Amino acid sequence: MSFLHINNVHKRFGETHVLKGIDISIEQGDFLVLVGPSGCGKSTLLNMIAGLDSISEGELLLDGRCINDVHPSRRDIAMVFQSYALYPSMTVAGNIGFGLEMRKVPRKERREAVDRVAKLLQIENLLDRKPGQLSGGQRQRVAMGRALVRDPQLFLFDEPLSNLDAKLRVDMRTEIKQLHQRLGTTIVYVTHDQIEAMTLASRIAVMRGGELQQLGTPQAVYDDPNNLFVAGFMGSPSMNLIEARIVERDGVPVAQAIAGDTTLTLPIVRDRQALRDWCDRDVIIGLRPEAITDPASANHREGNIHEAELPVELVEPTGADLYVVTSLGGAHINARMRPGTPLRPGERARFAFDVSRMVVFDPETEGRVRDERTADVGDVLETA
Amino acid sequence: MSNASPDRDGGARERLQRWLPKLVLSPSCVLILFFVYGFIAWTSYISFSDSGMMPDYTWVGLHQWSRLWTSWTWGIALHNIWVFGLLYIVSCIVLGLVLAILLDQRIRAEGVLRTIYLYPMALSFIVTGTAWQWFLNPGLGLEKTMHDLGWQSFSFNWLIDSNMAIYTVVIAAVWQATGFVMAMFLAGLRGIDGEMIKAAQIDGAPAWKIYARIIIPQLRPVFMSAIVVLAHLAIKSFDLIVAMTGGGPGNATAVPATFMYSYAFSRNEMGIAAASAVFMLAVIAALIIPYLYSELREPRS
Repeated sequence: MSFLHINNVHKRFGETHVLKGIDISIEQGDFLVLVGPSGCGKSTLLNMIAGLDSISEGELLLDGRCINDVHPSRRDIAMVFQSYALYPSMTVAGNIGFGLEMRKVPRKERREAVDRVAKLLQIENLLDRKPGQLSGGQRQRVAMGRALVRDPQLFLFDEPLSNLDAKLRVDMRTEIKQLHQRLGTTIVYVTHDQIEAMTLASRIAVMRGGELQQLGTPQAVYDDPNNLFVAGFMGSPSMNLIEARIVERDGVPVAQAIAGDTTLTLPIVRDRQALRDWCDRDVIIGLRPEAITDPASANHREGNIHEAELPVELVEPTGADLYVVTSLGGAHINARMRPGTPLRPGERARFAFDVSRMVVFDPETEGRVRDERTADVGDVLETA
Repeated sequence: MSNASPDRDGGARERLQRWLPKLVLSPSCVLILFFVYGFIAWTSYISFSDSGMMPDYTWVGLHQWSRLWTSWTWGIALHNIWVFGLLYIVSCIVLGLVLAILLDQRIRAEGVLRTIYLYPMALSFIVTGTAWQWFLNPGLGLEKTMHDLGWQSFSFNWLIDSNMAIYTVVIAAVWQATGFVMAMFLAGLRGIDGEMIKAAQIDGAPAWKIYARIIIPQLRPVFMSAIVVLAHLAIKSFDLIVAMTGGGPGNATAVPATFMYSYAFSRNEMGIAAASAVFMLAVIAALIIPYLYSELREPRS
């Protein structure tokens, strides 16, 4: 039995159907990130887990107990809000201890618990201040302290980093991850930032329009996306999506894409069984920027490298990498190359395609074309 | 020559633009200086003069002030303003806050109710006073209606009872200002972050504790504003009392404003009246100036 089980949960606000049957289960100690564009229902789902929104249909189980109709304060959960929601009239110590005070914990124990959490979060020197006197990062810590002090079964985070500046956000992200590793808590975390999702999660749930698009480990969601939306949403720069056609060559399917006045032919390694049925049909192929590189940086040992010469349209150095833009299948595509690769716009260069990482999508349903999943793909998905 | 003239034109226009606001504002500045501050100074001087029915500029020092403070009627007026002011401010704030909290529960007819509660504020004090005078007049309003309906033993004669008359004024004044205070509190309540209330719910606080510990402490600025607005309305209260009780029965509902009026215009004691007026100004200034100071300074800190 899983620790948190979201079983076919629906949410309706009058006529609008906000959540359309969500199924997610996670184990104790998991870090589940709900990610998706705004309006996808992720915050609503989190509020429903917290008990701040009612459940229209379906069932919510925490540690085997149905909590559909349990008051938020009795669900054994704690929540960190986007605005931090600190009580401005109380000191930091008062804020952290408020939940314990409401639960009639004696003053002395309360003080000890507050001190312990303050030490953990390194905010001991702030305990007597009011929230108004704190910086954004300090408020964030206090908000986390307020959640930690009660030692609940489940932590909920509602976009906790979105009000911080970029640098602080990265630092706090690391800290949240460290805290999770150290305390082994179970966390459900909402964000619209796919990098946050990738770095923090042990399980990612990608949502769109009130539906779960994919649930899996970060790597599975990244490498083996369920559909075009997940492929485009996760990863930055995002996955190259190229219009192509499957044709049969020497008895095996290959993908052909128009590259200027020539045709690029890419052999198919993954999902070959399923793609046999797609011969002479249009598809969209997906390749991550790092799967298209210069021949020298390509991983010839493990990858299945296919080289081709294409025109260089634009060169974007980022310091760590060099992104080279070319066009394929009528769209601009990004290739990630070694910095210092001597390329100039207008030249032709050799690009190395790691076709073992290529994924293929049905342009009509936007879903993946893939083989029946075998055991080694494993931990990939529960729903489609 | 030809390219010098636009320069000169531009210079003239610029100078005009610089001076125009000052030119437009200066008449009103002069008028305010003369009619407001000038007459404040004049009244202050009169309070140190031997004025009776007509202004008399003979300097008599603190004579009028000592007559004011030994006056028995002034003592009643001060006592009444304390009773009236305290009850008025406290009742308005308590009722206004309760109404605001009730209206803030996302009820359906909120817009209509808010308007209904706010309407009394649109009436002038004279209208309020007259209406309440009719309503509370034993031979005319509530008591007579009850008698007509058959409840012969019903009696509500506070308006003509010299011990109770001041409370009828409180009732009328509270009726008028509560809606306004409610609107202030409602605006304050709407400004409170909803996530904070959710956080308190998860923390396990019952509704009344959420109000007592988290929401009401955050309304402190609203309390400040409400107290200052109500306090100066209380001290200025004149028309309501004139319309409702005329300061009577006897001197039972006399307040400093009615005291000042009667000494200046019917008792021919302009000096004492001026002293009482200056005193009221000082009290209001003592309330308003620190408030304005803190309000105007806040945005910078």
